[in-house]
Amino acid sequence: MRKLKCILTSKPFVTLCWIILLIVIWEIFASVVAQTKRTPENVMPHLSGIIESVFSDKKINGSQTVLEMVLENAAATLSRAGIGYLIGIVLGFVLALLMSLSGVIEKIAFPYLMLIQLIPILGMAPIINAITGDIAVSRIVIAAILTFYPVATNTIAGFKAIEPAKHELMYSYAANKFQIYTKTMIPFCIPYFFTGLKISAPMAITASILVDTLQGGIGLGCLLSQSLKGAMTRYVFWDIVFFSALIGILSFYLMGVIENLLCRYKRAGGSGKKE
Amino acid sequence: MKKTKLGRNRERIETIVYPVMFGILIMVLWQTGLLHKLLHTDDYILPYPDKIINIITDNSDKIMVNVWASVEVALCGLLLGSVIGYLIAIIASAFPTYGAGGLTIVSAFNAIPIVALAPVIINWTKDVSTVAEERSMVAKILVVTVTSMAAMSVNAYRGLTELPQFSDDLMKTYAAGRLTEFVKLRLPNSLPYIFTALRVSVPGSVIGALVSEYFAEYIIGVGRQIRENILIAQYATAWAYIIVACLIGILMYVLLMIVEAIFLRKRR
Amino acid sequence: MKQTKKVLVIALALAMAAAAFGGCSSGSGSEASKEASSASSAQTEASGSEELTDGDRIIAAAKEGKVGNWGLGNEYEILALLTKYEQEPKYLSQSFDMDGFDDGSITLASAMTYNELGLVKNSYEGGYGYGENIGIIDMNNEGVAMLEDNLFCTKEFAKANPNTVKAFVYASMQGWKYACEHPDEAAQIVYEAGSSVSSDHQAYMASEVKKLVETDTKGAAVTEYGKMDEEAMQQTLDLAKKYISLDDKTAADKLQTLTLDDIRDTSFLSSEKDFGTPEKTDVKIQLKWLPQCQFMGYYVAKAKGYYDEVGLNVDIISGGGDIGETTAVNNGTVDFGVTWVSNLISADAGGMDLVEVAQVFQRSGLVLVYKK
Repeated sequence: MRKLKCILTSKPFVTLCWIILLIVIWEIFASVVAQTKRTPENVMPHLSGIIESVFSDKKINGSQTVLEMVLENAAATLSRAGIGYLIGIVLGFVLALLMSLSGVIEKIAFPYLMLIQLIPILGMAPIINAITGDIAVSRIVIAAILTFYPVATNTIAGFKAIEPAKHELMYSYAANKFQIYTKTMIPFCIPYFFTGLKISAPMAITASILVDTLQGGIGLGCLLSQSLKGAMTRYVFWDIVFFSALIGILSFYLMGVIENLLCRYKRAGGSGKKE
Repeated sequence: MKKTKLGRNRERIETIVYPVMFGILIMVLWQTGLLHKLLHTDDYILPYPDKIINIITDNSDKIMVNVWASVEVALCGLLLGSVIGYLIAIIASAFPTYGAGGLTIVSAFNAIPIVALAPVIINWTKDVSTVAEERSMVAKILVVTVTSMAAMSVNAYRGLTELPQFSDDLMKTYAAGRLTEFVKLRLPNSLPYIFTALRVSVPGSVIGALVSEYFAEYIIGVGRQIRENILIAQYATAWAYIIVACLIGILMYVLLMIVEAIFLRKRR
Repeated sequence: MKQTKKVLVIALALAMAAAAFGGCSSGSGSEASKEASSASSAQTEASGSEELTDGDRIIAAAKEGKVGNWGLGNEYEILALLTKYEQEPKYLSQSFDMDGFDDGSITLASAMTYNELGLVKNSYEGGYGYGENIGIIDMNNEGVAMLEDNLFCTKEFAKANPNTVKAFVYASMQGWKYACEHPDEAAQIVYEAGSSVSSDHQAYMASEVKKLVETDTKGAAVTEYGKMDEEAMQQTLDLAKKYISLDDKTAADKLQTLTLDDIRDTSFLSSEKDFGTPEKTDVKIQLKWLPQCQFMGYYVAKAKGYYDEVGLNVDIISGGGDIGETTAVNNGTVDFGVTWVSNLISADAGGMDLVEVAQVFQRSGLVLVYKK
């Protein structure tokens, strides 16, 4: 009995229950839709139909099946997202470092940092495209811009949350600025930095899908908008929706795993963490 | 004592003056065309500020109609999403084992790109009303609701459950009922977390409103105007709407900051 | 105790989920059936009152606010049509499928003869299978036709690379000629070039596009591919001046001063191979929309080696995103573009310096489709 309870309350089981529940609800509505709509796949197809479309070996264009097509485009999008993400991380971290080093930079940069997330980036995209002159580069740049903000703000929060006692200790050791940063500040802010990374990983992916829709070419977003525009079976659209959600969640957990691998030490309490 | 006060005042002035100076510098570079040279672009893609301002003043009536449409969507969606998100958090905190799992699912909604979410929801709400204006409104609000729900539920859940150790014990020694515990302890404790969530979801709601307008049936809103003008290559007008969109975001954010300051000061 | 708790959990979870999803698709069941019945009653009404004229249909749909168009620069002919029938120039934003038409939320839906109309009529994959149960209102017959797909570049590029432009136009028109002579083969070429539209629909599209390329607005045959018909161009420009509304005052003023000579240059179009070595050999062309037979001429020219023959290496970039073909050409990311004449006019009014070098479609492909 106790063992059963143990299983019933275990985390994987709980998640599984929720997923099953969601599937049941989806299927109920899908059945309703299937009976009342002439084109149910445009509104809410049965999950079985979606899964079937993934494994179907029917070619939907000259040469590729749905799965091959989604994977090929996903590779392009994810690699752009990855590069943009890395650039965003580096920029975010460097800016946070600069801001903590210099009060003037902090004061100048902080309001503009807030401003970045208020700019409708889709509107800016053609302008960024015009500046970079290449659509692939501008897609990376936009992914970087969207990643950069959460990384920077969380890292700054980390620098700020450092206990003064530690600072004073370093001063009493007559440590120079470089030593202070490498020995205390940076290790201390790593968990905050990773919080930023976790938030921005799914963001980088959704952002690069978003900017894919700006122009043709290869990419999940291109495929998604083509499917929405009726250029291919609507199941491609549904496949991408589920695929991108899955990748987004996985990227979040991946960052968690990397964090655990990098810093074996446990951090004190979970308090300053922002999500 | 006096000196520190003076110092603090100076600090305050600096926090305002420095960014403003930076802003003015950018504007000057922009208006004189140096920015264009730096970015290797022309005054067509990046029109001069005075031209943008002229467009905004020339079309203020039309712009305001679109602004209200977008603000309405953003605010309604934000409110609805936050309330639902908070309710989810309450339910989740009442049933910790199953609740936490549910929260993971809710936050998973965040991983769905909004460009995919918007057309799906617009399709789902086709039958809500026969009037296109109404069903578009509902669809747009729902998009914003879904996007702001996750941030609120995750943060509020933390606020409702991560209690200071002693206070929980204190409540237990008072033999307080669950309701009293909720009202006196959990609710106030979650207040700062609510604002943390809002800081994410307020800008998110504006962006969500703009993107959902792209796909909506009824043609209105700042986002729609940005897209239309970019597609018919009217960059100056598109910029005017981009600036307006930024202003909406900034205003809502400042408003949030003020509300937050009032609420959290009361607590102290 | 434990039992009740579990039941409670499940009940609550259900309620939560129902609340979340119920909001999203509130009562899709009951409302849909209601709608179905109203749709059928509307149908009987229509058949009862015998032959409605096109004008009646337009007025009725406009009064109900159920005229659909995609907007985003595709709407000017519809605005002109509504104005012609003295209706308020307003339309619903139509999504890129025909679901709105199918479920009755749009009674007069915009459709391109070669694309959406085929989906509505035919029953191949993605089609709605209405067959002959639909009627169309043709913009050409209504006198509000505006010319669509053309070939353009910047004036600067045309001036600096006249031979490249000539060679590109020449080879492309060769491609169009071949495609119109062999539409089925053209459809297959486009399909293999990476189109995702089903090959059946591609074949339909090729046959319809052929009509647009080889017939003018009055229904007369056109033999010269890419011809810029003065009268049709002028009508397009006049309608554009009337129905393109621009918020930017300088752009709006400039729009009114544009003449045909500002937007097109006939000197690059020739059926003879009378040009020198191309100045630029690697060129890109951005299409207005997704890869499909609407652009078969370019795909055919590439596949048949017409571009190679004139010494050009051509990269075809599909469109359909928010970075329009006018922007892409203007900022130099691509050299040539395919757009609608009206879009080129508004871009030039806005400050771009684009010029049309060939007019591929000789008549408007836009129709309004309704259920009979």
